[in-house]
Amino acid sequence: MRAMVIDDSRAMRMILKRIVSKLNFEAIEAGDGKEALDLVTSMTEVPELALIDWNMPNMNGLEFVTAVRSDPRLREMTLVMVTTESEQSQIVRALAAGAHEYVIKPFTEGAMIEKLALLGLVPTGANS
Amino acid sequence: MSVEVEVNENDLAEMVEQVWESYLDPEGVNPLIPTYDENQPSEVHSSVSITGSWTGHIVYASSTLAARRAAAAFLAMEPDEVSEEDLSDVLGELANIVGGNVKAMLPPGALLSLPQVVLAPEATARFPNTSRISGVYGVWDGEPVSISMWQSRGDNHNKEGAE
Repeated sequence: MRAMVIDDSRAMRMILKRIVSKLNFEAIEAGDGKEALDLVTSMTEVPELALIDWNMPNMNGLEFVTAVRSDPRLREMTLVMVTTESEQSQIVRALAAGAHEYVIKPFTEGAMIEKLALLGLVPTGANS
Repeated sequence: MSVEVEVNENDLAEMVEQVWESYLDPEGVNPLIPTYDENQPSEVHSSVSITGSWTGHIVYASSTLAARRAAAAFLAMEPDEVSEEDLSDVLGELANIVGGNVKAMLPPGALLSLPQVVLAPEATARFPNTSRISGVYGVWDGEPVSISMWQSRGDNHNKEGAE
C-alpha cells in the first residue's frame, strides 16, 4: 500500500513518513497540494491514503481534497487532513469537501495510528 | 483593529504540553519546567503571525542547544546529526503548531502566516507596536525555552512592548 504525505514542512513530512512506514506503507511525499496533484494524476497506481496539511503555498489542502474528489479516477483515495486548523467550521469544511478524517496537530503517533485503524487502513491494535 | 483575547498562560501551557507529549518528550520523562522568567536568554527563535480578528505574533525561542535537541527529538535523530535546515524546519513547525492552536481560540476570521525562523535571539527581532500578552517560560533539559504571544497595540496595553 502507498501513502502520500503532503505538507510544506519537511519536519512534519518526516514524522508522518516515519509513522506510515512503520505501518508498512510506501511513503510518497509532496511539499504542497499542486505538487501532490501533479504526482498523483501522473501515477498509474493511485495511493490508497493521503495525509494532507491545510496551510500550504501554491495549492492548500482543502483545494487538493476538492480536486481529488472531482476526479473519478482518484475516488478510492482515503483523504486525511493533518493540520493545526482546529476550528469546528474548518473541520466541517474539510469533511464536506470530501476528507474522510481529520487529525489536529500536535498529534501523537498512537493517535494517528488509531485514526488510520478506524478507517480500516491498518489492523486494529497496530498501535500496541 | 484586533480584539482583546482570552488566551492566557494556562491555555498556552496546555498547548505547549501537548507539543512536548506529541513530539519532544513522548515518554513523558523530560518536560519543560517552568521558570516564569520572561527575561531568560535565547539564541534562536521562530514565529508565526496572525492577522484578521486578532493581530499579533506567536514566538518560540530557545538556546541553540535546546533547538538542536528539539530537532533531534522531532526527527528521531541524534543531536549531532541535526543540520541547520533541520533546525529551521523544526523551529518553524513548532511555531506553526502552537500558532495554529492559538488561532483556534480566537474569534472567527483570523489568518495564520507561514512561519519565519531566525537563528538569532528573540531580542534581535522586532515586532513593532506589540505587547506581550501571554508566555510560557521554562527550561528543558537545563536549557531555556519560551513560547510567547504578542498582540499588536490597539486594544491591549497591559504589558511592556517589544518595539
